[in-house]
Amino acid sequence: MNKQNRNIKKKDLAVLGLAASALLILTACEKSEQSGVNLLPAEQEEQQTVNLFSPMEKTEPDTENAARNATDTTVAMVEEKLGVAVAYKTYTAENYKDKTYDDVALDRARNNMDDIYLLNPDAITALGVEGMLADLSGLECVQNLRDVVKVANTVDGKLVAIPQEVVAYGLFVNQDLFDQYKLKLPETPEEFLECCRVFKENGIETPVGANRWWLETFVLAQAYADLYNGGNTAAEIEALNSGQAKYSDYMRPGFEFLQTMIDKGYIDPEKALVSEAIEGEGPDFLAQKTPIVMAYWGAANAETAYGKPSFQMQVIGFPSSRGQMPVMSMTGFAVGAQAEHKETAMQVLNEILSDQALQAYAEINRVISPSKNISVECVPALKRLNDRIEKNVFVLGANANMKLEQWGNTCLVVRQLLGGATVDECMAEFDRLQAETLEQ
Amino acid sequence: MEKKQGKKRESRGLPLLLLIILFFCILSAAVLFVSHKISQEMSDSAVQNLSESLDLIQYTIEAILRKEAEFQKLIAKEAALAEDPEEYIRSYEKNDTMVKLSLILAGEEVGVSNSGEAFTAEGLDFSMKRAVEGLPISQSYVNYMGAWAYSMKCPVVRDGETVGDLYVEYTYDSLERSLPDSFYNKQAALYIMDAETQRFVLKPTGMGQRSAGHLNLEDFYRANSIESPQLRAEVQTALENGQNILFYHDIRNVKALNYIWTVNDGAVFLIGYVPLDAIQQEGRTVNQNIFIMVFVMLTAFLLCCLLYSFSQKQQNKIRQEREMEREIHNKQLSEALQAARIASTSKTTFLSNMSHDIRTPMNAVLGFANLLAKETENPVKVKEYTKKIMASGQHLLSLINDILDVSKIESGKVVLNFEKFTLSDLVSSADAIIQPMAKAKKQNFHVSVTGVRHEELIGDETRMNQILINLLSNAVKYTQEGGDIWFRVIGLKQRSSQFEHIRIEVEDNGYGMTPEYLETIFDAFTRAENSTTNKVQGTGLGMAITKNIVELMGGSIEVSSQVDKGSLFRVELECRIAEDQQDEPFWRQNGVERLLVLAEDQELCWNIKELMREAGVAADAAADLSQGLDLMRNQPYPLILLDWELPGAGEALAALQAALPENGALFLLTSYEAEEKAPLPEGAAALPKPFFVSALKEKWTELQQPDDGKDQEEQEANSLKGLRFLAAEDNEINAEILAEILEFEGASCEIMSNGKLALERFDQAQPGDFDAILMDVQMPVMNGYEATQAIRALPREDAKSIPIIAMTANAFAEDEKAALDAGMNAHVAKPLDVKLLKKAIRQYTGGTE
Repeated sequence: MNKQNRNIKKKDLAVLGLAASALLILTACEKSEQSGVNLLPAEQEEQQTVNLFSPMEKTEPDTENAARNATDTTVAMVEEKLGVAVAYKTYTAENYKDKTYDDVALDRARNNMDDIYLLNPDAITALGVEGMLADLSGLECVQNLRDVVKVANTVDGKLVAIPQEVVAYGLFVNQDLFDQYKLKLPETPEEFLECCRVFKENGIETPVGANRWWLETFVLAQAYADLYNGGNTAAEIEALNSGQAKYSDYMRPGFEFLQTMIDKGYIDPEKALVSEAIEGEGPDFLAQKTPIVMAYWGAANAETAYGKPSFQMQVIGFPSSRGQMPVMSMTGFAVGAQAEHKETAMQVLNEILSDQALQAYAEINRVISPSKNISVECVPALKRLNDRIEKNVFVLGANANMKLEQWGNTCLVVRQLLGGATVDECMAEFDRLQAETLEQ
Repeated sequence: MEKKQGKKRESRGLPLLLLIILFFCILSAAVLFVSHKISQEMSDSAVQNLSESLDLIQYTIEAILRKEAEFQKLIAKEAALAEDPEEYIRSYEKNDTMVKLSLILAGEEVGVSNSGEAFTAEGLDFSMKRAVEGLPISQSYVNYMGAWAYSMKCPVVRDGETVGDLYVEYTYDSLERSLPDSFYNKQAALYIMDAETQRFVLKPTGMGQRSAGHLNLEDFYRANSIESPQLRAEVQTALENGQNILFYHDIRNVKALNYIWTVNDGAVFLIGYVPLDAIQQEGRTVNQNIFIMVFVMLTAFLLCCLLYSFSQKQQNKIRQEREMEREIHNKQLSEALQAARIASTSKTTFLSNMSHDIRTPMNAVLGFANLLAKETENPVKVKEYTKKIMASGQHLLSLINDILDVSKIESGKVVLNFEKFTLSDLVSSADAIIQPMAKAKKQNFHVSVTGVRHEELIGDETRMNQILINLLSNAVKYTQEGGDIWFRVIGLKQRSSQFEHIRIEVEDNGYGMTPEYLETIFDAFTRAENSTTNKVQGTGLGMAITKNIVELMGGSIEVSSQVDKGSLFRVELECRIAEDQQDEPFWRQNGVERLLVLAEDQELCWNIKELMREAGVAADAAADLSQGLDLMRNQPYPLILLDWELPGAGEALAALQAALPENGALFLLTSYEAEEKAPLPEGAAALPKPFFVSALKEKWTELQQPDDGKDQEEQEANSLKGLRFLAAEDNEINAEILAEILEFEGASCEIMSNGKLALERFDQAQPGDFDAILMDVQMPVMNGYEATQAIRALPREDAKSIPIIAMTANAFAEDEKAALDAGMNAHVAKPLDVKLLKKAIRQYTGGTE
C-alpha cells in the first residue's frame, strides 16, 4: 500500500515538474508584444517642481549631517504625499569675499527666482518689510506653533516665515579645560572675562574661537537680557520702534565687552573676520586648543560640527547680568509673494511644517521644535542650556517686531568692530540705522 | 562483504565527484571569461557612448553660446542704427536668457542698463581672454538675481567706428533647459564649471544636492576623495590645455567614471561622474542573464544529481530494509527453531519425568500386588498392601488427569461449568484436604477469610478447587517441615455490584524460587527440580494448569518469591454473585435477630459482626466468659458462637447451654489445631473456622431439623442389591473388576466383550431381565455409542427406557456429551468410583424395589 502511495507521489511530482518546465518554455518563447508602433514609453505627465533655495554643505563629505538628513526626510515625505518634486537650488559662499548666502537669498527672492526660501532672521525681516514674502498665517500648520515663533516671524501683521526648528545659540565650552584650571562656568560678563584671563595666562593663546557670523550673540545676550526677561518687553520694544529709546544704549555694554576681549587678546579679530561658522574655529575647539566657541543647538548633535568631541563638552548661555542667557534665533522657510508655483509651495510648506513632519525632523535632529505639540529629549551636553529655555529665560536674536532688524545688522556692526572701528563708531552706526528705520 | 561493497561504492563515487567538480570549474571559467569579455566590450562601448553624450552636450552649449553671441551682435547692430542707442537698450526687456543688457558709450565709464540702473563694467572680468564668435566672455559671477551668470561684450559699431560696448548678461540656468533631463537615468552627476574660478556654476537640483562637493573643483575633489597628486596634476594639465579627460575613480564607494569635458575652448567645463553600474547597465544585464542561465542550468544539474542521489538512497534504503527484513525473518526462524528445540527438549525431559513418575507408582502397584499375592493369608499385610496399591493408583490417576488437563487446556478444549457454590464449602474443602497434608509435614496451616460480602457465588467450583489445591499442595510440597502456610481469602472492593471481587493468597516461608525459575513457573513441563533427582513428587503441570484456569476465568495470577524466604501466590478473580442470597428473611424467620460471639480473637469477632450485620443479625462480642454471661443475663441470645480456643471454653459450655433460650443454639468455633489441643465434647455442634454465614446457616438448619437415619437411608437407597446389569466391556481385567464390584454390592452382571454382543444379548433378553446397561465406549466390532444407538433403536418397549450408563476412560466433558447424545443416560469415568457408579445407577434405576 505504502509503496503504491510512494509511486503515486513520484508520478505526481514528475507530472508537476513536466508541467512547470512546459510553462517555463512557453513563457520564455512568448513574444512580448506592444500595443502600438511607437517604441518609446508613454511620456509621463510632467511632475510639478517647486524650487527650494537653501544653503549647501561645504564641510566634510563623509560625515552625517543630522539637520540636512532631517530636512531631506521631511521633504521626501512631502514629495510622496503631494506628488510634487522639490528641486534644491543652493548657494554657499566660497569665502568671505563672496556674496553671502543672505545676499544671494535676498537677490533671488527679490527677483522671484525660487518658490521657497530658507532665510536667516535678517533676510526674513528685510524681505517681509519689502512685501516680498507671502503671508503664511492661513496655513493649517500655524495653529500648532509656539507663540514665540509666531511673534518672532510676524512682520506688519503677516506671518512671513516658519522655522523647522527653534535655534538656540549658546557657548560650547570644554568642561575638561575648565576643570583643569578649576574654573566655574561663567554666569556674568565679568566672570567670563576672568575665565579668559586664566586660560590666557595658562598659555591658551585665544580662549574664545570666533567666526564672522556669531559674535553678535554676546552682544544680543547682554543687550536684551533685561528687555526680554524684565517683564516690560512690549513697552520697551515700542519705545525703540518709536525712537524714544536708543538701540545703541542697549548695545553698548556688549560692544564694550567685545572690545575688551579684543584688547586682551581673548579673541582674534582678524581671523574671526574671515572665518566661516564652525569651519574657522571648530578644528581648534575640537583639538582642545580653544576652550570656548559659540554655536547653535544642533551643532551639539551634528557630527559635522561638535557632535562627537573627545572631551566633556557643555553648552551654556551667554554671560549676562541675568546669568547664562541662551540666544534664540529662527531660520525660517518663506514663500515668495510672487513665486511661480506659489500655491504648490504653500502646500509643500504646510506639509513640511505639519506636526508629523516636524516630529520626524525633531527626532532626527534632536532640536527644539516650533510646534508646541512636539518635544524631544536633548543630548546631555545641552541640558544646562535647555534648563534655561524651559524656564523661559532667553533673548530673541531676531524679532520681526523690532523695526530695526537685529540679527543681521548687529552682525555687520560687530564686523566693523572686528575691523577696527571703535565702540562709539559702532554705536553711531546703530543710531544711524535706527534713524533710517524711523524715516521709513 | 558489506564493507567491500561500501568501498566499491566509495571508489566509484570519488571520480564522479571529481568529474563534477572539474565540470563546474570548466563551466565557471568559461562563464567568467565570457562575462569578462562582454563586460570589457560593454565598458569600451560605454566609454564611447559617454564621450559621445558629452560631445553632444558640449556642442549644444557651444551652439547656444554662438547663438547668443550672434544675437548679441545683431542687437549691437540694431543699437548702432538707433538714434539713441542708450534709449534703445533701455527699451529692451529682459528675458530668461538675456537677463540684463547694458551699454557703455565710448569714452564713458558709466553706461545704462535695460533694468534702468547705471552700469559699469567694473564687476566683469574679461581677463581670461576667452571669446565666443569673437565676443569676449567674462568670468562667471553671481549676478543681481543671485544666479550664476556670465556676460559677453560686443562693440557697437556705427559707420566703422566703435561708438560703445554692449554688455549682455546670461544666466547658466538658461543652459539647464538644454541639458538632458535624466543623464544616465539620473544616476550621473553633471556640473558646469567656470574654468577661471573653478566654481560650479550649474548644479543638479535633486535630493541630496545640498551635500558637499558642489561648490568648486576643490570641494569636488575633497567630497569625492580625489587625493592622488598625480591624478590632480593630470586633471590640472587638461584644464589648462582645455583638453577632455576621463578617469576611473570611486565616488562614495561606488565605482565611477569621472569626466572633465571642455566647452568653448576651455571657457567652461562639463564635470561630473557616471557610476559604472549605470554605464555598464546593458553589460551587467547581459552578464546577469548569463549568470541566471548558468545558475538555472547548474540548479537543474544539481537537481538531477540530487534526484539521482535521492533515488540511489531510496534504493539503498529499500535494499537495507529488505536485508533487515530478511535478517528479522532469519532471526525469527532461528528463534522458532530454538523454541522448537527447547520445546522438544522440554517434552523429552517431560517424557523422561513422566516415565519416571509413572514407573514409580506403577512399580509400587506391581510390587505390592506381587507381595499381596504372596501374603494372601495375612489380613494385616493384605490390608496394608491394598492401601499402598490404592495410594499409588490414586497418584497415577492424578498424574494422568494433570497430563490430560494440560493437553485439553493447550488445545483450548476446557469448558467451565458455571454453577452456584458457596465460598465456605470451597474453603472448607480445601482446608480439609490440605490440613492433613500440612499436619503430616508438621507445618502450620493458617486459614483466614476477610472482607467477603457474598458467599454464594456462581462459578466452576471444581476448577476453583483445583486452583486452591494446586497452590496449597504446592505450598505444602515446597515448604520444609515445621514451616508456615497461610491461606487467605480477601474480599476486595467490588468493581460491579453483580460480581464479588476476591483475592486468594497462598503464602509460605518455604524453599522459595530463583528469579530464573519464576520466569518459567507457569510454563508447562517445568518443575523446580528435576523429578528424577528430587524427592518432591509432581507432574510439573500444576502451575501451568492453574494459570490457564485462572485466565480462563478472567482472573490474574502473580507470584513473588525469594529463595529460602518463601513464596506468595496471589490470584484475583471476579465471580458473579448468586441472585437468591436472602439471609435476612432466613434469620428473621428463625427468630434470630441477635447473636453472641465469645472469642478472644478480635479480628474473628469483627469479621463475624460485619458478616452477620449484612445478614440482618446484630452480633455482640465478649472477650471472656464472664463478660459473655453478663450480656446473656441482660438479654437472651438465640445463637451463641463460642470460640473453642477461648480459655475455659470447655468448662463454661454447660453454663452457656443452660442459659440458652428454647430453640437456641450454641456452636463451637473450631479449628484443626484447637481440636487437636482439646477434642470437642460429644454431641457439640461445631462450626469450623474460618467463619462463613452460609456454613452457620447450614449448621443451624441441621440443628433445627434433625435428620436421624438419613445417611442410613441414603446408603440403603444407593445399594445395588438385587439389580441385574448387562455390561459391555472388552477389557477382561476391567470386566472382572466390574463384576467383582457389582457382586460385592449384591448385584449380578452379564458381561459382553463388545457392543454388538451386548446389543444382541439385550435384544434376546426379556423385558426386565436387566435393570441397566453399563456400556464401555471404545470397543472392537461395535463401540459403545453405536451399540447404544442400536439398542435405543430396537423395536421393544424398554429399548427407550432402559438406563444405559457410559463407563469409559474417555473422561472429558465432550465425551460425556457424546455419550448423552448417543442416547446414554449417564457417564461414569474410569477408573471406576464405586460411589459415583452407585449414585448414577440408583438415579436411573429408581433404587431397590
